[in-house]
Amino acid sequence: MTTYASPIGSSLKRVDGPGKISGLEKYAADYYPDNFLWAGAKRSDHPHALIKEIDISPVRNLPGIFAVLTHEDIKGANRVGVPEMDQPVLADRKVRYKGDPVVLVLAENKTVLQEAIDKIVIKYEPLPAVFDPEAALAENAPLLHENRNDKNLLLGGRVVRGNSIAAMSECDAVAEADFQLPWQEHAYLETEAGVARVDEEGILAIIASTQTPWRDRNELAYALGWPLDKIRVIAPYLGGGFGGKDGITVQGLLGLAALHSGGRPVKMWNSREESFLSSTKRHPGRVHYELGCKKDGTLYAMNCRIVLDTGAYASLGGPVLALAMEHAAGVYRIPHALIEGFSVYTNNPVGGAFRGFGAPQVLAGLEQMMDILADKIAWDPLAFRLKNAVMRGDETGAGVWMSNSTAIIPCLEKLQEHPLWTSRQAWVSQAPPFKLRGVGIAAGLQGTGYGPMVADIANAKIELLPDGRFRIYSGVADMGQGNNPTNVQIAAEVLGQTADCFELIQPDTLQTLPSGSSAASRTTYSYGNALKAAALQLKERILTRACNMGMGLYAEDFLLSSGRLNHLPSGREIPLGLVAASMRPEERVSIYSYTAPVNRYPDKINPDIRAAGFPHRVFAFACHLARVQIDELTGEVEISDYLAATDAGKVLNPQLYEQQVQGGAVQGMGYALWEDFKLDRGELMTRNLATYILPTSMDVPDILSIAVESVEESGPFGMKGIGEIVINLALPAIANGIARAVGQHIFKSPLTAEQLLLILEKRAAE
Amino acid sequence: MSQVFLPHTLEELWTIKQENPAALIMAGGTDLLVKIRDRKLPPAVILALENIAELRQIERQDGEICIGSMVTHQQLLDSPIIQTQLPVLHQAVAVLGSPPIRHMGTIGGNICTASPAGDTLPPLYVLNAGLELKNAATSRLLPIQDFIQGPGQTLLGSNEILYKIRISIPAPHSQGFYFKVGQRKALAIAICSMASLLQFAEDKRILEGRFAWGSTGPTVMRFPEVENTLIGEKLSPIILGRLGQSMAALVSPISDVRASAEYRRLLASKLPLKIWQSLI
Ligand SMILES: Cc1cc2nc3c(=O)[nH]c(=O)nc-3n(C[C@H](O)[C@H](O)[C@H](O)COP(=O)(O)OP(=O)(O)OC[C@H]3O[C@@H](n4cnc5c(N)ncnc54)[C@H](O)[C@@H]3O)c2cc1C
Repeated sequence: MTTYASPIGSSLKRVDGPGKISGLEKYAADYYPDNFLWAGAKRSDHPHALIKEIDISPVRNLPGIFAVLTHEDIKGANRVGVPEMDQPVLADRKVRYKGDPVVLVLAENKTVLQEAIDKIVIKYEPLPAVFDPEAALAENAPLLHENRNDKNLLLGGRVVRGNSIAAMSECDAVAEADFQLPWQEHAYLETEAGVARVDEEGILAIIASTQTPWRDRNELAYALGWPLDKIRVIAPYLGGGFGGKDGITVQGLLGLAALHSGGRPVKMWNSREESFLSSTKRHPGRVHYELGCKKDGTLYAMNCRIVLDTGAYASLGGPVLALAMEHAAGVYRIPHALIEGFSVYTNNPVGGAFRGFGAPQVLAGLEQMMDILADKIAWDPLAFRLKNAVMRGDETGAGVWMSNSTAIIPCLEKLQEHPLWTSRQAWVSQAPPFKLRGVGIAAGLQGTGYGPMVADIANAKIELLPDGRFRIYSGVADMGQGNNPTNVQIAAEVLGQTADCFELIQPDTLQTLPSGSSAASRTTYSYGNALKAAALQLKERILTRACNMGMGLYAEDFLLSSGRLNHLPSGREIPLGLVAASMRPEERVSIYSYTAPVNRYPDKINPDIRAAGFPHRVFAFACHLARVQIDELTGEVEISDYLAATDAGKVLNPQLYEQQVQGGAVQGMGYALWEDFKLDRGELMTRNLATYILPTSMDVPDILSIAVESVEESGPFGMKGIGEIVINLALPAIANGIARAVGQHIFKSPLTAEQLLLILEKRAAE
Repeated sequence: MSQVFLPHTLEELWTIKQENPAALIMAGGTDLLVKIRDRKLPPAVILALENIAELRQIERQDGEICIGSMVTHQQLLDSPIIQTQLPVLHQAVAVLGSPPIRHMGTIGGNICTASPAGDTLPPLYVLNAGLELKNAATSRLLPIQDFIQGPGQTLLGSNEILYKIRISIPAPHSQGFYFKVGQRKALAIAICSMASLLQFAEDKRILEGRFAWGSTGPTVMRFPEVENTLIGEKLSPIILGRLGQSMAALVSPISDVRASAEYRRLLASKLPLKIWQSLI
């Protein structure tokens, strides 16, 4: 009998590795079906305008043009979006941002496609436009969507605990600041792409780079007016998503194209520029904080006002705001708090889901406030955080109950005893000439799952194949984070198999079961729970069947191992194929539906905010440390060292876990220092990766990761989500380090070298 | 689809060029292909120089180093001659682009693109590089600062190519420096850059100081009248700071999506101090 280490907790090699490295694994962008047509959109070059006339005559007879489509060719509602369906597949009456698609062209090749897109003439009547969310809330602001009671306010609400206004005056120290947060581009490697075709039976099949195959299918049926049961969406491995593919990107246009291509397959693949132009971004925002504490270091009152710019369409701008509000008090107990939030339509690009989902914006503000306030009462910033941090059973200042595993204090303690923290003063004092040094920290949390009003359900399916191997039908898309390879690890653990005993089916509405989005740090948590249970059920079935077959008396006498059953009392070995042969096909398939737990307490929360996802039940926690060195001659910031202590529950795969920590921290560093998405009256100034500055490997330090493994009782094998908590704290940790180095906080991010040098120069002149 | 020619000799090149007068010369293509993709240039016939061996050499003849226009940045980085004799150029190619760009991009392409942000240009200006230009019939030699007229503008004739770059080896006791500020540490276009070549006497006094500034005007800039103020001085933060102040008053940067003119000017005033920072 061979023995091998338990798969859970080991850095099991990713089963998707060889296929991806060799290029055999196909991403959505890799499909080139026979006889396909290219599809592409002509997009609005006005931020806000009525469409007066669409003149397609210049291209109608262009050789190589197959079809030119407008909203008039759409049979359905021509609206996508979740929860608010307000975004047209093709603009009908008007355009609402520079980039809105108006005409869809199908062509034999890309050259003709581009020529046609250039030649089509659209006549517009420009409307007054609004680019600032505060201005969009004003009484006489131009309206993006005319028939809404709330005008340009997509979602607004408050969370009130105690009486923060009165309490603030009882504080011994109060700090106040206003933070400006930028857009952030997902900048995944694989831009939005897919192929689609309608077959002889009228099935519209779409292979797309999507985080949400099931939701897409529903939206497409509604928008395009095609029967739901005749739509199939397949989600191969994604070349990155980060939230930018949480919903429809090219799928609507692709589906429309396929319905007008005479049965030919159609393909779309955005250029980087078109991706920048048309994709959703992290919501830019303004976050105003007032935070007060007592002399003894206890936080006592907080006022917070959050304004997010959701751009031309709702996308997930409501839920993002709700999550921002939920995380606005961070990991602290604060008895009196007022949190106000506004998610506002403007004529800017659409704000949507992005790793962190509203938490990075508020934690950027709050965690700088914590440093400012600690300084006011001359407290050590780490001790100040420890003093106020929540434990299980506490409520945060936002009124969110920490009902499950809560290990923020152990995270802070790990950091407190780490040499990067304990030796900080010496390190700072050894700064070379013309360099300034500072060390900053930040702490935070991230909810797992969808919140109380959208059921977070995963339906796992696993099959024992006739040859004794297993097939896992993954219901949740894998954006690259490795959740589907982790499915193998989970099933291997339960079924006592090695990884090579499994094959994996990627999400496909025809074969796999609806299991929600690859999002909200819930991917492995929810699907893993379902799969673990499904695998357990299948195991019991196999053992029972072996008894049925007269191979033993009791199920517990059997040991399930790679490809076989061992009957322990007799030492007999039975190939799994033999057991499989005795089972009917439906017995060989095991399905389990899992619903994630939620915290309800409905009375306390504003119903609109609650409907948008407030509050969560399971949270991951982290605390980050950044040592920064600023060049006084150039303003350039170097992150010299970086440490992340994370409580995301038990670690299923240390390597994948660390990859999330590293990738998230780096994406957060980009948000903190470099990624300056610029718009001028709705027009993109940073149109591609030459001017939108992502960090390279040269710009980031080694990142140390400490896993603080609490046991999350509701998660499979004690885990909870790692995907988002990792991005939330780079900005505030780095900003706090910079503030300590230069002696002043900077409230507008990213903290570019230019901004810093100009500030240093001003200070020198004073 | 455009047509691509890959001649093996200059003779072949001249013939093709004569038959296709509109053909675009391509070295590594890292500027040219980007411009074609951005539709700033038409997708014309392409005449690639990559197979012409004589353009790929780095030679040392007497007091001169001769660099073929098709020498890649990586070749310069790997060359002991460049590292020991022309460290100012070596430092510049070390921070140019990224490994793939350095393997594709050439010094000739960097010069002919004539961007004020080109990383090899400030070093070539302080080295007083001469450019050998050739057509089917003749060749001529132009100082780099005469060849480059403005952003993207050069005196390259329509039937000419840049053949070689000729550089006199700096006097002994010279030190070269290159500093570049970009928006990140790799794959970054210079927001402001500075090359310097300092020649010292035995007593460490400066015999000659040359400075060239990138990304602070339509072309790389030198200001001999300011350079001359260094003669006879010893290096110090005060001297370098003062030099920076004078230079900053003379440069004429623009604001664009990467940086404001104000930031660029401030950087110009500070970069000389980088010399001090790097020496201590
Ligand atoms: C991602 C990226 C990063 C970059 N980073 C940097 C950077 O950090 N610093 C920097 O300075 N540049 C950078 N560049 C620009 C570019 O790589 C350099 O300018 C490079 O040196 C160009 O050389 P090439 O051989 O690729 O030129 P090509 O693109 O082949 O040619 C450029 C121009 O010069 C002409 N030409 C080339 N050779 C000759 C010749 N021998 N005779 C006549 N005409 C000729 C061509 O016709 C064309 O007009 C970057 C480019 C990219 C795409």
